Amino acid sequence: MTAPDPATLKLKAEFPAREIAFCAARVPQSSRLLYGSSDFHVYEIDLESEKPESLAFSGEPHQSYVTGLAVAAGHAVSGSYDGRLIWWNVESRERVRDIAAHDRWIRRVASSPDGRLIASIADDMLCKLWDAATGELIRTLADHEPLTPHHYPSMLYAVAFSSDGKLLATGDKVGHVAVWDAATGEKVGAVEAPVMYTWDPKQRRHSIGGIRSLAFSPDSERLAVGGIGQIGNIDHLGGPSRVEIFTWRDGRRLHEIEDENFKGLVQQLEFHESGGWLLAAGGDNNGFVTFYDPETGKLLHQEKAPMHVHAFVLADDSAALWTIGHEKIAVWSLGASLAESK
Amino acid sequence: MSRMSARFCGSADHPVSRRGFLGTAAAVGAGAFAADMTVLNLLKDPALAGELKKQQKRVILLWLAGGASQLETWDPKPGRPTGGPFRAIKTNVPGVDIGELLPKLAQRMHTTALIRSLNTRNADHGSAAELMHMGRRKEGGVDFPDLCAICARELARADSQVPDYVSMYTATEGRRWGKGFSGFLGARHAPMFLSESMIPENIRRLESISDVDHQAREDLRGLLARRFSRERGSQAVASQNSAYQRVRGLMASERLFDVAQEPATMRAQYGPTQFGEQCLVARRLVEAGVPFVKVGRAWWDSHGQNFETHRELCADLDHVMSALIDDLQDRGLLEHTLLITLGEFGRTPKINASLGRDHFASAWSCSLTGCGIRGGTAFGASDADGQTVADGEIGAGDLFATIFSALGIDPHTEYYVGARPIPITDFGSQPVKDVLA
Repeated sequence: MTAPDPATLKLKAEFPAREIAFCAARVPQSSRLLYGSSDFHVYEIDLESEKPESLAFSGEPHQSYVTGLAVAAGHAVSGSYDGRLIWWNVESRERVRDIAAHDRWIRRVASSPDGRLIASIADDMLCKLWDAATGELIRTLADHEPLTPHHYPSMLYAVAFSSDGKLLATGDKVGHVAVWDAATGEKVGAVEAPVMYTWDPKQRRHSIGGIRSLAFSPDSERLAVGGIGQIGNIDHLGGPSRVEIFTWRDGRRLHEIEDENFKGLVQQLEFHESGGWLLAAGGDNNGFVTFYDPETGKLLHQEKAPMHVHAFVLADDSAALWTIGHEKIAVWSLGASLAESK
Repeated sequence: MSRMSARFCGSADHPVSRRGFLGTAAAVGAGAFAADMTVLNLLKDPALAGELKKQQKRVILLWLAGGASQLETWDPKPGRPTGGPFRAIKTNVPGVDIGELLPKLAQRMHTTALIRSLNTRNADHGSAAELMHMGRRKEGGVDFPDLCAICARELARADSQVPDYVSMYTATEGRRWGKGFSGFLGARHAPMFLSESMIPENIRRLESISDVDHQAREDLRGLLARRFSRERGSQAVASQNSAYQRVRGLMASERLFDVAQEPATMRAQYGPTQFGEQCLVARRLVEAGVPFVKVGRAWWDSHGQNFETHRELCADLDHVMSALIDDLQDRGLLEHTLLITLGEFGRTPKINASLGRDHFASAWSCSLTGCGIRGGTAFGASDADGQTVADGEIGAGDLFATIFSALGIDPHTEYYVGARPIPITDFGSQPVKDVLA
């Protein structure tokens, strides 16, 4: 499939989200967006209905922020700071299964492209792989240090599957990325992006930042890593949004991309399936949506988002983009393909 | 400047004879207008001040500079839109829950009183820090001392060979507001300020001067100073003299600042962070008789990523403060040492788009542990979302009156600056009796 021209990106509509929306997934072949909220609930909203409205999944909700969400094997699986994974029936919106998955706060949940695996990551610094259909724990992946070099608790923020589902990457606060064989649990590579972690030893004596997003290229050979560059005043997210692209097998950094126009965290990354562009979104007090050329590292196009973007979902044909974040959901359209516009 | 205590605490633990009281009060009356520290020291000797000083009471202030979030520490609101992601956890005191980022302190809540109803009405770093150091707003014409200097003044022995007031603040952000100041109490009660290193700078005798030479120079200085004082006595001169007279004692106190003097097990108990080492130094200092130690832990100003910042800084606070409480308790010092956590304000219930919390002084919290405190109490309350004080509202002056009362210092004590009486707590302030032992 040819990638749509990023310059055709257009904000079509905005809808209120229930409080802060942290994570999103789409019911396949539909306009139904699922999102997890700071009010501990999972919601569904049909963005093509006449009056889109957020409907809460029923049953006992999480006990803290819902920060991870994936759809697989007919279920939505949500993860929360309460350390639990909850399986939900996507059609009835009812709770199916509840698992005490981690000892610390779950940061993200991802599903394998074939829908058979669920990966959850948490501040216990573990990645756990689950059978999406049964909820059975398949294996636990451990490579990330529990403490930062400055003796404070570290965090495990980012996880992504490769598009063929064979690989999995996890990224932490201090900029360490591990690449795993999803079938065996063997660690097959690592890359380092230490600039994502700012430790202020002098002015404020604490840290900020971390790797917040990961994405494999369609051929699985390159790995994009998102976060924030070095920050002068760590009271705020005042650093440049930052993306690094690696050939992960040799750990070589191909591109370091920093954007001072739109500052803050790169919360999510995704390659177009053609490899034509790399989409990044995130923000500080504001938000952004940015397209990069993954071959050159050059910025192709960017737009200010109406809120800090915590997550996005692309339509199957990449003709629509849904972003969710601070109290808002935004619907964007993408028009003509890159080839057509050239 | 001179001192008059309008009342004494009356506790059976520190009895004062009526004769002693009247005698001292008479001396105060006579010397009220004498701006001379010599007179002040005479006042201290007999009863009122002397009795308090014998009790060896101490204070360690953990100054959470930049403003820690009450919602992530002492006053959690789980499940509310303002509550953030962290749970409340049970403490070892039934009915008192705190934030889940403080699990070790939760098991020591029987030693600690919480105040959850501070409304200090000032959310600007500089002037709020000043307010929470002085317990009152700045006034033109009066150079107020801070809480630390007043406590040092009231608790220190005149013959002490250790510093009266040590202030540590290594971060640069907020340092100018966190340093401390002795105001009209003068140089004798000014903080020994440690910023770059935990070992005081310039405390060692120069190698080029022998100890005999050093003593001879001090003797000469003393002779000249006494002659100068006789002819041009003033508060400033007396204050400087008093500070100089203690130089050799202070020089000998260098080892107190050296954590390497502690066994490895004790250092491990406090942990490897700078805050941990500073609190271990604080314990060494109070054990040696330093009446007031402030440890500035900056910088909690989490406008962005509040929860990540508190996950990091609270882990440090929880571990180190717990170690400090245990250590003081094991040494029999907690009963005589008041441990305070305080900053210039708290943080907004509203969570901003950067997942931060901003400055907030309308309903925030602090903690008091140890000396004179009824452990396991939680005084006051904020409303369901933490937006306002719902019960037991107090201001900075009331908090200071509480701290003074816990230490046995009469909060209605007045100092005289010239002919003007200056109460050590702001007019109308009252201690929170519910948290006092």
